[in-house]
Amino acid sequence: MVPILTSAFDQTAVLPAKCRSCNRPLDSPLFCGNCHTLHPAAGLTHFAILGLTPSFDIDLDELRRKYLYCSRCIHPDHHSAGGADANLSLHTAAQLNESYRVLRDPVLRAEHLLALAGGRSSAEDKSAPPDVLAQTMLLREETEEARAADDSAGLAALRKQVQTLCEQALQVVAGLARELPGNDDTRQRLREQLNAVKYYRKLLEQL
Amino acid sequence: MDQQEIIIGIDLGTTFSLVAYADERGAHIIRDEQGDGRVPSVIGVTPEAPGRPPRVTLGWEARNHAVENPRTTVYSVKRLIGRGPEDIRKDLPFLAYAVVPGPRDTVQVEIAGRHYSPEEISSVILRGLRERAERHLGRPVHKAVITVPAYFDDAQRQATRDAGAAAGLEVLRIVNEPTAAALAYGLGVREQISLGSPDRPTALPQVTPGHFALPMQQCPANVSIEADATSAGHTVAVFDLGGGTFDVSVLRIEHGVFQVLSTAGDTHLGGDDFDRTIITLVQREVHEQFGLSIDSPTTRQALRSLAESIKTRLSAAREAQLELDLGHGRTYRRTITRDEFEELSANLVDRTLTLCDQALRDAGLAPDQLERMILVGGSTRMPCVRRRVGEHFGIEPYTAINPDEVVALGAAIQAAILGGAHPDMLLLDVTPLSLGIETMGGAMGKLIMRNTTIPCRETEMFTTFMDGQTAIKLNVLQGERELAADCRSLGEFYLRDIPPMPAGIPKIEVEFLIDANGILNVSAREQRSGRQASIQIVPNHGLTRAEVERMAKESIQFARSDIDAHRRIDLLNQVEFDLNKTRQMLERFGAQLEPTERARIEQEMTALYALAGRTEDLDELYQALTAFGHSTLRLAELGIRAALVQGAKEQPE
Repeated sequence: MVPILTSAFDQTAVLPAKCRSCNRPLDSPLFCGNCHTLHPAAGLTHFAILGLTPSFDIDLDELRRKYLYCSRCIHPDHHSAGGADANLSLHTAAQLNESYRVLRDPVLRAEHLLALAGGRSSAEDKSAPPDVLAQTMLLREETEEARAADDSAGLAALRKQVQTLCEQALQVVAGLARELPGNDDTRQRLREQLNAVKYYRKLLEQL
Repeated sequence: MDQQEIIIGIDLGTTFSLVAYADERGAHIIRDEQGDGRVPSVIGVTPEAPGRPPRVTLGWEARNHAVENPRTTVYSVKRLIGRGPEDIRKDLPFLAYAVVPGPRDTVQVEIAGRHYSPEEISSVILRGLRERAERHLGRPVHKAVITVPAYFDDAQRQATRDAGAAAGLEVLRIVNEPTAAALAYGLGVREQISLGSPDRPTALPQVTPGHFALPMQQCPANVSIEADATSAGHTVAVFDLGGGTFDVSVLRIEHGVFQVLSTAGDTHLGGDDFDRTIITLVQREVHEQFGLSIDSPTTRQALRSLAESIKTRLSAAREAQLELDLGHGRTYRRTITRDEFEELSANLVDRTLTLCDQALRDAGLAPDQLERMILVGGSTRMPCVRRRVGEHFGIEPYTAINPDEVVALGAAIQAAILGGAHPDMLLLDVTPLSLGIETMGGAMGKLIMRNTTIPCRETEMFTTFMDGQTAIKLNVLQGERELAADCRSLGEFYLRDIPPMPAGIPKIEVEFLIDANGILNVSAREQRSGRQASIQIVPNHGLTRAEVERMAKESIQFARSDIDAHRRIDLLNQVEFDLNKTRQMLERFGAQLEPTERARIEQEMTALYALAGRTEDLDELYQALTAFGHSTLRLAELGIRAALVQGAKEQPE
């Protein structure tokens, strides 16, 4: 996984340097600001697509500004003449939307960074910190009881409790994500904390 | 003559439809002679009879004769489009015309023994709007942007697009109605949205004149991010209660981008449902007082008209008189007050508010973060809707543009964006419903969550579970429920032509791509053994390609008049062109003609002009135009010769 790691954390490696059409230097990997030619986003990280340095701490305002700017340049509404350009625009816009969705959410952002650092996905590793599974099971039971008893105050209290747990887990996630690429232990602990956040979020949905 | 193709914007409504276009002066509704932009979404079919051809009427004419022809007048067809028999069961008691099950889980309208798909009926309306635009613009129109309720699912969107194709229109974009409204507001009255005081009283109904301010900023496409980073954004919600559908969309407007954050709605909640509370009341009371059950097609249609007019009157007055002649000297009479009506329809307004709360939650916003609540759709004229929305959100609901017209104006603006007139502007919409596939055990496995920005894309890997299996069936679903059976199936997609291999060996990547119209495109590839075989997808719903093409060719009985309309426009354009040309030529070369010949040409010009203005006979006009061409031949030759001489002079030595 080392090659991915190097390219992802080394921002000079993420940009194709020049436009494939007019040969001018590119300021976005998705399109040429000079001749408006679109460039395929294949193989780029979400950070590269939005022209950001891979990091857990990103400026959300800057992220949004760049997203809106790129959207305006590549959206199918502005490439509606049909043919290959329209098709590339459609796929690039879908990719850009996905990158924005991932980066603006701290959990998905940490997941992405973990993947770039060679960590395992939630599909490969479902383990959570020791006490979390038992705890969520208990909370789920309490939720069902409160719902059966039509106890709205109890449900509200449970909701608050799970929210707090989720926020605490998120803080641990943030701390670990800042240490990436880190060592095996860092990545394993991040994996487990991310799984914990997922359990809590699922529970919140039910609440 | 300006040959740049105009793309029209169409609001295809449940009750009324409108057509608009945008030019450098702004967006304009195309109106009739009375100044009304609305075309009732009603068509009447006079069946064929010996010695009399069938006839189709549209709009006011069809609507005004609805009560006499209950079985052959089709209204509210938008409630049927893209739906199956099960979806519309609750509508049936309120429809005076016959609805029957159609092929592939669709419904059809039956008129005098003939079946029409809702797409076909809608295409008649679209064709009428297209012709209205062609008459107004004096040139053929082939391209359109059509709006749909934001909460329309994939089948309803596809069906609307098919109806457009059947009307001879290339549908460049399907746009969500509330988003179109926001676009019209954002562009035209941006200042009022941002600066207007929240407690500014809103007068209604307010009719705006034909022209609507639309600044055409010709900014270069590569506007820098920093340049407009200072412009503050706004968070607005659009509350769109139309004739048959309800939508609410929450948007963030900044840097010229209109981004929908979330949308919620009900495609079966609109003005029709408010009418139905009155219809049900009258039916119940007539039964109680006279023991009569009034439910024949004729009375259904009459009751509908009555209920609608009562509802409209109650928007202006505190009470309205209801009177119904039941024959044999029996008359049902009562006074209905606004309070009574509001009580009857309170649960309908409740439903809209619940959906508003959901949209806000999905957008991750607290109610006090909302800066504006914009009201759109004719049904927002009801005082109870305005009052309760205001109370619920603690902000005065906002209406500046005529709520009937704002969606069509927005569609015209989006058409202009697609035409390249606004490189600095963009609409970013979302998919209203989660998309997924049925998994083992009948669960809904979500692939794309609702309120995801479109276009969006997700891939999923599939394999076979039997040796030599060459096809896989996928049940593609839309909806929020956990069980596949509770979601709407977009049809069963068959992945075919998989190379025969042992079970579990083929690796088929299926791509689910929702485009900017909110319409799903599915593609698949087999990735094993280096061979990227493309997989044939067979969706199973709505119309087939062949059916759309057939409809475009046949288009009920409108075809003849449609061709005539086109020919008429073309001929009139030609007449105008020839007359102008001849006038110019006379000015330049008239002196070279005999005075008698010149006089004759001038006389013929006047005659041709008069004929074009009065005749309905296109053949006569064509012959006159051809004759005029012959008799101005000498003048034309003078022009050609002069042009040749001029051309020779300009040739380089």
